[in-house]
Amino acid sequence: MTINRVASYGAQYLDAETLEHLKQTLTDLYGLKGSVFEQYVKFWSRLLHGDFGPSLAMFPTPVMEVISTSIPWTLGLLVMSVFIAWLIGNFIGGIAGYFSEKRWAKVLSVIAATIYPIPYYFMALILIIVFGYLIPVFPIIGGFSIGMQPSFSFSFIVDLIKHAFLPSLSLIIVGTGWWFLSMKALSSTTKSEDYVQYAEAAGIPQSKILFGYVMKNSMLPQFTNLALSLGGVFNGALVTEYFFAYPGIGQTLYMAVTNGDFNLMMGISVFSIFAIASAALVIDLLYPLIDPRVRYR
Amino acid sequence: MKKFWRVLLFVALIGMLTLTLTAQVLPKVPRGDLLIVDALHGRLAKTDFNIWKPATQAGNGIQQALMDTLWYVDPTSGEWINALAAEPPIYNEDATVMTVKLRQGIYWSDGVEFTADDVVFTVKVQIENPGFNYSGPFSTYVKDVYAKDKYTVVFELKKPYPRFHNFFNVLIYGACYIMPKHIFEKVEDPLKFDFNPPVSLGPYVLKDYDKAGYWWFFERREDWQRTSVGMVYGRPKPKYLLFIYYGPEEKKVLAQAQHQLDCIFDLTPEAWDVLRKRNKYSMVWYEDFPWAWMDDVAARGLCFNLTKFPYNIKQVRWALTLAIDIKDVIISGFNGIERLAPLHEAPTTAFMKYFDKPLKEWLEDFTIQVGDEQFKPFDPTIPEQIAEWAKDQGYNVTMAPEDIWGIGWWKYAPDVAEKLLKEVGFTKKDGKWYLPNGEPWKITLVGLPAEIDSARLAFAVADQWRKFGIETSVETVEAGVFWTRWSLGDFDVGSYWPASASGIADIWPLYQGWHKRYVVPTGQAASSNQIRWTNNIASDIIDKMATLKPDDPRLMELSRDLFKVFVEEMPYICTVINKKFNAYDQYVWTNFPSAKNPYMSTAWWWGTFKFLLPFLNFYCTPFHTTRSRSDDYKQSSVLWCTVSRR
Amino acid sequence: MIERKRENPVKAFFVILRDMIKYNKGFAFGFFFIMLALCLTFLSFFSPYNPKSWNVVPKDLPPSLKHLLGTNSVGQDVFWLLTFAIGNSFLLGSVTAIIASTVGTIVGLVAGYKGGIADRILMSLNDTFIVLPSLPILIFLAFSLRENLNVVTMGMILSVFSWPWGGRQIRAMVLSLREREFTYTADSSGMNTFKIVFKEHFPFIIPWVMANFINTILWSIGMEVTLAVFGLSSLETPTIGTMIYWSTQYQALFRGIWWWVLTPVVLAVLLFVSLFFVSSGITEFLDPRTRLQRIKARG
Repeated sequence: MTINRVASYGAQYLDAETLEHLKQTLTDLYGLKGSVFEQYVKFWSRLLHGDFGPSLAMFPTPVMEVISTSIPWTLGLLVMSVFIAWLIGNFIGGIAGYFSEKRWAKVLSVIAATIYPIPYYFMALILIIVFGYLIPVFPIIGGFSIGMQPSFSFSFIVDLIKHAFLPSLSLIIVGTGWWFLSMKALSSTTKSEDYVQYAEAAGIPQSKILFGYVMKNSMLPQFTNLALSLGGVFNGALVTEYFFAYPGIGQTLYMAVTNGDFNLMMGISVFSIFAIASAALVIDLLYPLIDPRVRYR
Repeated sequence: MKKFWRVLLFVALIGMLTLTLTAQVLPKVPRGDLLIVDALHGRLAKTDFNIWKPATQAGNGIQQALMDTLWYVDPTSGEWINALAAEPPIYNEDATVMTVKLRQGIYWSDGVEFTADDVVFTVKVQIENPGFNYSGPFSTYVKDVYAKDKYTVVFELKKPYPRFHNFFNVLIYGACYIMPKHIFEKVEDPLKFDFNPPVSLGPYVLKDYDKAGYWWFFERREDWQRTSVGMVYGRPKPKYLLFIYYGPEEKKVLAQAQHQLDCIFDLTPEAWDVLRKRNKYSMVWYEDFPWAWMDDVAARGLCFNLTKFPYNIKQVRWALTLAIDIKDVIISGFNGIERLAPLHEAPTTAFMKYFDKPLKEWLEDFTIQVGDEQFKPFDPTIPEQIAEWAKDQGYNVTMAPEDIWGIGWWKYAPDVAEKLLKEVGFTKKDGKWYLPNGEPWKITLVGLPAEIDSARLAFAVADQWRKFGIETSVETVEAGVFWTRWSLGDFDVGSYWPASASGIADIWPLYQGWHKRYVVPTGQAASSNQIRWTNNIASDIIDKMATLKPDDPRLMELSRDLFKVFVEEMPYICTVINKKFNAYDQYVWTNFPSAKNPYMSTAWWWGTFKFLLPFLNFYCTPFHTTRSRSDDYKQSSVLWCTVSRR
Repeated sequence: MIERKRENPVKAFFVILRDMIKYNKGFAFGFFFIMLALCLTFLSFFSPYNPKSWNVVPKDLPPSLKHLLGTNSVGQDVFWLLTFAIGNSFLLGSVTAIIASTVGTIVGLVAGYKGGIADRILMSLNDTFIVLPSLPILIFLAFSLRENLNVVTMGMILSVFSWPWGGRQIRAMVLSLREREFTYTADSSGMNTFKIVFKEHFPFIIPWVMANFINTILWSIGMEVTLAVFGLSSLETPTIGTMIYWSTQYQALFRGIWWWVLTPVVLAVLLFVSLFFVSSGITEFLDPRTRLQRIKARG
């Protein structure tokens, strides 16, 4: 493998003899003995028992423990942001798509198309400079204040939201742009469907056509996409977490990759696959409720 | 749709609510009681206080606040500090028995007295449980260890080893710290134990820490008098210590500009430039240009895998050295902020005194064979040239150029380099170099962007070699890959930092690794001598040094001889010291070490940091971050605070 | 228009292009910007400086006539760097998009028309790739293949994760097209399947493939920027991502060297906006619904 965990430990200030011993010790400890094939078999047998083994970089902490300390943060931050962005983006996008000939709709879509591609790193930096330095109203690091004890008290929740504000704002800005653009495209095509034309001809109020016909029908693919985005949450918002020093799984994963911590990488990836697959399954099962035309026989 | 509006309204309300509150990152303690330090290792997803286990990180406050061991040597001042030990170690005639007298009246933070039993336990538990950091060396050297009385430990060694005490001596970064026997003896498997909550032997206790790994918060012990720091230098001034990781560099700069981060680990020169202009209380080492702290104990070099063609040829290595215009590298690559390292060690203040300055004359007379002629490659005028450049740029140069930029480096002599290469069969056509077999000569230089100066050196030198006519490209890799390739020898040329230094003149602990017995074939992991240098003369010198006691006068002569062999052979091209922009903010705390008052090294990630804390002063009490202060006020407080150590 | 196409496709193409530029302002903007970008790329062949060399010009100069976009802190001319960056980012995006679109379209078509076991195998393969967490794997790949990382290999790696989305969409389209009335009509009137696919179905699929092609370019350029933030790109090669990487490394924003950091950012935005307009212009022009009406009318 590319990264030899044992070999990469050499950056410490220890004398030559000690280092030589340490290398031996680590090889034994990490269970890296035996051929690659033997290690592979061992890996699968452990995995089937739901054991991802110990993290190599944080030896001997089990991978599960590392994941479980990080995941609530990521879930909280991302689920919130994805939902908010999805709601706002689809709402505005739906309206803009319906009135796609109007001037303001065109302006909106130019704005969205401009904001969406701004490199995320740059935008996060601007947010931090504005809200963390020029007008220092939001904290720029961490999940909650130092000295606070996690609890369900009001002050803690406020603290939590305050810390999540900037990272989620950055995610919402980018996310909204994306949902807006795709929803606008969807609803402007729905608008030209026959039943919408009939409804218009029949003199049904415009607001009803917009929300009852166009938006409702255009939303369907967006539900599938929402499910996939929510599943993707397990990837973590890597750049967000790195930049805002937010204690989530994305940063853990990045640390795992740079440290060559294969057990942890595998653990998080398996989790992620599981999450996306189950999100897709849930949506498939819920689909008939959203779209009555779909029936499972 | 009504529901939708309600959700929107709710979100808006929450947003407004949060806006009414001000940002608060720091714990709610008076700022004047708190020292905020940048956490060197960054985020640690799991904090483990059993730092005797391999792969645990101690630099984020644990070794500075909670741990202690027998001795420390400060690398900048060279001062030997007896910490838990009352005096330096006593060896018998043939260095097979080491006796250590311990300080009396030192207590663990839970009120248990620290005694010889703790030291004995620390050694024995590591021998009995292979897998600890020091299990290997302790089982190799220690025959028996016992407490002669409550405050005397006797080590009986299996073979003569006059440097055994270095395992308990913090020369650089850390060493083997002492374990609390009364805690660890109750544990079934000490290797699985996470020592949480930790019992402290240092002047602080752990008050709180972030489970997600961003910060560690320490409070001074009520009984700080009963610790080594308290006994040696008195009360550590900050009541609280906070080690915190703010994320990318930009955020650290912003935090210090807001006086919310007192010490930052190594900024880039550009970030320092930004900070200097934003916060006039920020300081590194020199008051004026070049600001940086150039006393870190490592130096950067261009390392060859010496088993690979053509880097196994001495002439090629020398030619590559002479093809570098170091003045240009320093000025264009580092903005003039770097100290030159011609010898294969880190030219710290201490090591310049031991080696660079005494060897300068030898260097000036040193010659290499070029064809039939002798060529003197050393150029002592480079520091002056850089100083001239700095003055032209409008900077003040307040100290002798030699004390800032080092004693000199190798000449820029592409013509000589050309002769050397042609001598060994290389050819040059249309300004491009070809290997003796006719293929174009390509060099891939490995650099580490995470250690920005490593990457900058790589890019700057690649530029020089390209100008010389060698097709050079830089490959930047992540830390894990970088060190793996270092260990496996999977590189042609790499921008590593193999040269080192410490506070003691005895270089054997640092240089024994260059012995030929540590050479392994490329592809196998090497823990030392990663450049695979097989040199009999150097190995002989190292063997001779091993038998001498650390205070033997012959040692110095041998060390200098070793450096001469290095220069002669040029196994790697030592270039510059690992300078650092460790910015500290003097807004709240003052009297950090500086070029004017270099009483100690500024490295707050080393275990030695605990001995710096009693010398800090806060400018005034009580203190709140929100309070603005006028400069007049600052003036008076400077007077009030200039109680320095010497 | 279809009549014209039969006469002379090249001429028809230019006529359509002229019409679109005339009547669709967004498309016109996008088209001209992309043309400009291509010209800049072409200019890079005449660059006086090697983009890999440092210290070829004085440092940190603001934009002037001599250095149109100023110079950066490692002594490179930002304008000439930009010409290389555009070309490389385009190349990266195109490699990704060509591979991803080709594979995605073929997989989608085969799965849609063949059905049965082929469909199941291809779609489960497809879904596997959708489910795989892309960013960590990309980081890992970029990380391991560092040595061989250049714009082309990077594009190839990125395409691995972008083809399944297109594949899935095309399959769904084919499935719905197969059920449309005109397919039955054509089928019962004795047209062979091959002809149906190419004459009747392709006009529906092509616009989507083109839109997807452009979106993949955008995604790929964006992904490279993300990887570059972590220094996981070929850092010596100027691209939009590496330009941002180096400018943040040297704190360009804080030090007021705005021309260095804003150049790649503005470029990224302009490139996206213009590609977006072009893509939506094409989609609008080739909208299957208006198409359907035309076909119906003709039939």
